[in-house]
Amino acid sequence: MSDEYNQKNTPIKAQSSEITSSSSGSSKDIDYVRPAELPEQDLYHGHSFITKWIFCQDAKVIGVQYFLTAVFTGIVGLVLSWLMRLQLGFPELVPFITAEHYYQFVTMHGMIMVVYFLTALFLGGFGNYLIPLMVGARDMVFPYVNMVSFWMFFIAVCVLMASFFVPGGPTGAGWTLYPPQAILPGTPGSNMGIILMLVSLSLFVIGFTMGGLNYLITILQARTRGMTLMRMPLTIWGIFTATALAMLAFPALLVSCIMMTLDKMLGTSFFMPTIVQAGEVLSYGGGSPVLFQHLFWFFGHPEVYIVALPAFGIVSDLISVHARKNIFGYRMMVWAIVGIGALSFFVWAHHMYVSGMNPWFGFFFATTTLIIAVPTALKVYNWIITLFRANIRMNTVMLFCLGFIVTFVNGGITGIFLGNVAVDIPLSDTYFVIAHFHMVMGIAPLMVIMGAVYHWFPLVTGRMLSEKLGKWHFWFTFLGAYSIYFPMHYLGFIGVPRRYFEMYDSPYVTSAIGMNEFITVAALIVGFSQLIFIYNIVVSLSIGKPAGKNPWKANSLEWLTPEVPPAHGNWGEKLPVIHRWPYDFNVPGAKEDYITQTTPPSEVISAEVEKT
Amino acid sequence: MDEIENKETVASTHKIGIYLWIWGLLFVLSFFSYMVDWFQFQGLLRWTLILIFMFLKAGLIMAFFMHLFWERYALVNVLLWPMTAIACFIGLMVAEAKYTVFTRLLYFFIGG
Amino acid sequence: MSDNSLKNLPGGFKGMSQDMGSDQTAFKGVQWGKVMMWIFLLSDTFIFSCFLISYMKGRTSTVVDWPNTSEVFSLHVNGVAVPLLLIAIMTFVLITSSGTMALAVKYGYEKNRKMCGWLILATAIGGLTFVGMQAFEWSKLIHEGVRPWENPFGAKQFGSFFFMITGFHGTHVSIGVIFLFIYSRKVFRGDFDKGKRGFFTSMKSDYVAIEILGLYWHFVDLVWVFIFAFFYLW
Ligand code: HEM
Ligand SMILES: [Cu+2]
Repeated sequence: MSDEYNQKNTPIKAQSSEITSSSSGSSKDIDYVRPAELPEQDLYHGHSFITKWIFCQDAKVIGVQYFLTAVFTGIVGLVLSWLMRLQLGFPELVPFITAEHYYQFVTMHGMIMVVYFLTALFLGGFGNYLIPLMVGARDMVFPYVNMVSFWMFFIAVCVLMASFFVPGGPTGAGWTLYPPQAILPGTPGSNMGIILMLVSLSLFVIGFTMGGLNYLITILQARTRGMTLMRMPLTIWGIFTATALAMLAFPALLVSCIMMTLDKMLGTSFFMPTIVQAGEVLSYGGGSPVLFQHLFWFFGHPEVYIVALPAFGIVSDLISVHARKNIFGYRMMVWAIVGIGALSFFVWAHHMYVSGMNPWFGFFFATTTLIIAVPTALKVYNWIITLFRANIRMNTVMLFCLGFIVTFVNGGITGIFLGNVAVDIPLSDTYFVIAHFHMVMGIAPLMVIMGAVYHWFPLVTGRMLSEKLGKWHFWFTFLGAYSIYFPMHYLGFIGVPRRYFEMYDSPYVTSAIGMNEFITVAALIVGFSQLIFIYNIVVSLSIGKPAGKNPWKANSLEWLTPEVPPAHGNWGEKLPVIHRWPYDFNVPGAKEDYITQTTPPSEVISAEVEKT
Repeated sequence: MDEIENKETVASTHKIGIYLWIWGLLFVLSFFSYMVDWFQFQGLLRWTLILIFMFLKAGLIMAFFMHLFWERYALVNVLLWPMTAIACFIGLMVAEAKYTVFTRLLYFFIGG
Repeated sequence: MSDNSLKNLPGGFKGMSQDMGSDQTAFKGVQWGKVMMWIFLLSDTFIFSCFLISYMKGRTSTVVDWPNTSEVFSLHVNGVAVPLLLIAIMTFVLITSSGTMALAVKYGYEKNRKMCGWLILATAIGGLTFVGMQAFEWSKLIHEGVRPWENPFGAKQFGSFFFMITGFHGTHVSIGVIFLFIYSRKVFRGDFDKGKRGFFTSMKSDYVAIEILGLYWHFVDLVWVFIFAFFYLW
C-alpha cells in the first residue's frame, strides 16, 4: 500500500512501530517488528439492535450465531439418531417409525451432522470467533459478506428443515444421496424431499463460499505485525487448511447437486441409466451413476478432513495450554495438516471399492489412502509426546482432549483396515464402517468441540463453566459414546449391514440382539447426559465464576484483548504486536510459566525461548 | 514489478503495446483453432492442435490480461498448484469412462 | 515505507519463501478484494472443471453416437453450411471484450476516467452481444428439437450437457454484464476518484475494483476457451 493511501484512510495511525523502533533505545534491535503494511481496517459499527445483534457485521457475533444455529440443527440430528436407535434396538416398539421414516431419519441425521452441524460449527462458529482474534485482526476482511454468509447458512437450514414438512417428507436416500434411487419413486421423499435437500446444499455451498473467502483472506492478508504464518496457533492452521479444502471440494458437491436437480426436474440423464421400473421403461437412459459417486466423494473425502483438521488444530492448542508445555514438533504439525489437506484430494475413491468402478483404481486409492495415514499418525505421536512428562492440569478441557486422542486413534486404526481393498470389501456397508467414521469424525471432533467450549466459554461470556458438572458430562459422554460405537466393530465383523431397517430373522441377528439393545440404551443415556452440558452453560451464563483476564494463562492473542469479552474491533486503540509463537510455556529462565505472544524479547532476556 | 500498488507512480502501468499484442495473438490463435475444425483434422492431430491452442490462449489470458505474469510467485503458486487435483481427477475419469463404456459394450451387446 | 516497497523484494521462488515467511500478508501488495476474487475464481474453476469432467465422462461412456458438433452448430450462409460459424463469431466477440476490459483496467489505474468508462461500456456491450448470440443458438437448437432430456441427433446427454454448461457459462456472462454496466456508471460518475462509500457495504470505492471486475471478466473468457475446445471442437 502506498503512503498516500495509508494516510487517507487511517483514522488511528498504524505507524506506531516506526516510533517504537526508533525511540526505544537499547531494546531497539531485539524488539524490532516490521512496520504495518496496511492501513487500519475501516469498520462498520452497528447502532441499532438489528445491526448489532441480527444483521451484525462483527465476526464474533456471527460466530456465535453460526454456533447456535449449528447446535440447533445438531440437536435435531441427535433426536433423529435416538429414533433410529430405538428401531434398531427394539424393532417395531415405536409404531410411528416405519421403514420409510427410518430411511428419512438416517439420511437427515447423516447430512445434518456432517454438513450443517460439524462443518458449520467448526468453520462458521469457531472460525469466525477465533480467526480475527488469533491473528490479531480487527475483524474479518469483508464483514458485510461475512454477515450475508451466515444468513445464507440460515436459509439453507430453514430449507432443510422445511423438507420435514413437505408432502412425502424429507429424502430417504442416505446422506450420500446416490442416484438413481435418490430420485426414483419408491425412495421416501423422492419428490419434494430430495429437491429441497439439493437446494439447501447449494445454498449452503454459496453461503460457505462467502464465509470461506473471509477466513482465508483474513488469515493470509490481515495478520497483525509480527504474526508470521509459522507463529499462528495450530487452531488457525487447522481452520485455514480446512477452509481451503472446502473452497476446492464444495464445487464438486455443487455440481453434483445441480446435475441431480436437473435429472429430477427436467428429466435429463446425467446420472440415470436406462431403468425398468415396475415393468415400465423410464425415459431415462445412458447416464452414469458412478459419475455421481466420483463427484460426491471428490467432495466427500475432503469434507471429512474439513471436519477433522480444525479439530486437530484446536486440540493441539488445548493440549499445549493445559499441559503447560509447548506443542511437540510445531512445524511438523503444520506440515502434517497441510499435507493431509493436499493428499485428501487424491484418495476419494476408497469410498467406492464396491461400486463397480474401474478395478485398477483400487491400487491407486489404497496406496494414497495408506499414505495419508502417515501424517495423521505423526500428529498423534506429537500429541502424546506433548503430554509426556508435562505439567498436566487434569481439568475438563484436558479430559476431553485425552478422550479425543483415544477415540481418534481407535477410528484411525479402523480406517487403515478399510483402506485396503481386500479387507474393505467384506466390511464395506457394515456396522464396521459406521463404527469407523463415528469414532473418527463423530466422537473425536465432538470431544474437541466440547473441550473447546469449556476452554473458550470464559472468553466469550466472561464466566467459567462449572468444573464439577463438566467432569460428570465428560465421563457420561466418553464412556457412553464408547459403549455405543465400540460394539459396532463387532457387529460389523459378524456382518450386520448398515442402513437396514430391521434384521427380521436373519441368522446373525440372535447374537446381535442384546448388543443392539445395549447400544440403544447407551445412546439414549449419552444423548440425555448432554442436558448436563446445556444446564451448565445456561446456569454459568449468569452465576458462573467470573473469569477475569486470561484465566487459563494462555499465550495466544485471543486472551490478550483489552476488554474481556472482546469488543467490536477487538483491540481497542492499538493493534497488538507479536514477538513469538503461542507455545512458550514453562520456558527455562522465565519468571512465569507462560510468555504471551505479545511479550517483547527485551522483557524475557534470560528465558531460553524457542526461536520462532 | 507490480503496477497496482504504486498508485502515485501512475506511469508504471504496462505499456498499451503489450495488451494489443496479446489481443492480436488471441485472435490469431482463435482463428487457428477454428481452422482445426474447418479443415476437419481428425484423430491425434486434431487433439494435439486443439489442446495446444487452448492452453496457449488460456495461458496468455491468465498471464497478461489477468496480470498473473506480473504477480509475485506466492500468488501464482497458490493459484496453480490446486490444479494438480483437477489433473488427477481428469486422468482418472478418462480411465473410468473407458471402463464404463467397455462394460456396457460387454454386457449389452456381446451379452454377459 | 521503504521496508515494504515491492520493488526491493526479491522475486521468484526466493521471494515466495520470503513472502510466505513474513508477517502480515502472504501476497505482498495484493489488495484483499483482489485476493478474494482470485480465490473465488479458483473455486469457480473447480466448478467448471467438474462440469467439463462430467461431460467428458458422459460423452465417452454413452454407447449412443454423439452428434457431430461441427454440423449441428453450422450456419447456412447463402445456402452453404459453414461449420461452427456462430461459435467462431461468439469467440471473437468475447475475446474482443476481454481486450477492451484489459485496457479499461490499464486506464483505470492511470485515472483516465473517460477512457476507462467507455472501455467498460464497450466490454459490457460485447458481453451483451455474446449473450444475445447464445440465446439465438439456444433457440435454434430448441427449434431443431434438441432438449435437455432428448436429442434427435444422437445421445441424450448431448442436449443435457450443452444446455447445462453453456447455461452456466452464460449466467456468468450475464452477471458480468450487469456488473460492467453498473461499474461503467460508477466510473463516469467518478466514484473511484472520490472514494465514495458503497451502498451495501459502506466501504470506500477504489480503482482496484476495476481490476477485480476485469479478473472476473477474463475468467469468463478463459472458461469459454475451454468450452470451445472441449465442447465444440472435440
Ligand atoms: C487414518 C486415516 C483414514 C483412513 C485410512 C480412512 C479410510 C476409510 C475408508 C476406506 C472408508 C470407506 C469404508 C467403506 O465405505 O467401505 C472410510 C469411510 C469413512 N471415513 Fe475414513 N479413513 C480415515 C480417516 C477418517 C477421518 C479422519 C474421518 C473424518 C473425520 C473419516 C470419516 C469417514 C467417513 C464419514 C466415512 C463413511 C462415509 C460413508 O460411507 O457414509 N475417516 N474411511
Ligand atoms: Cu475417505
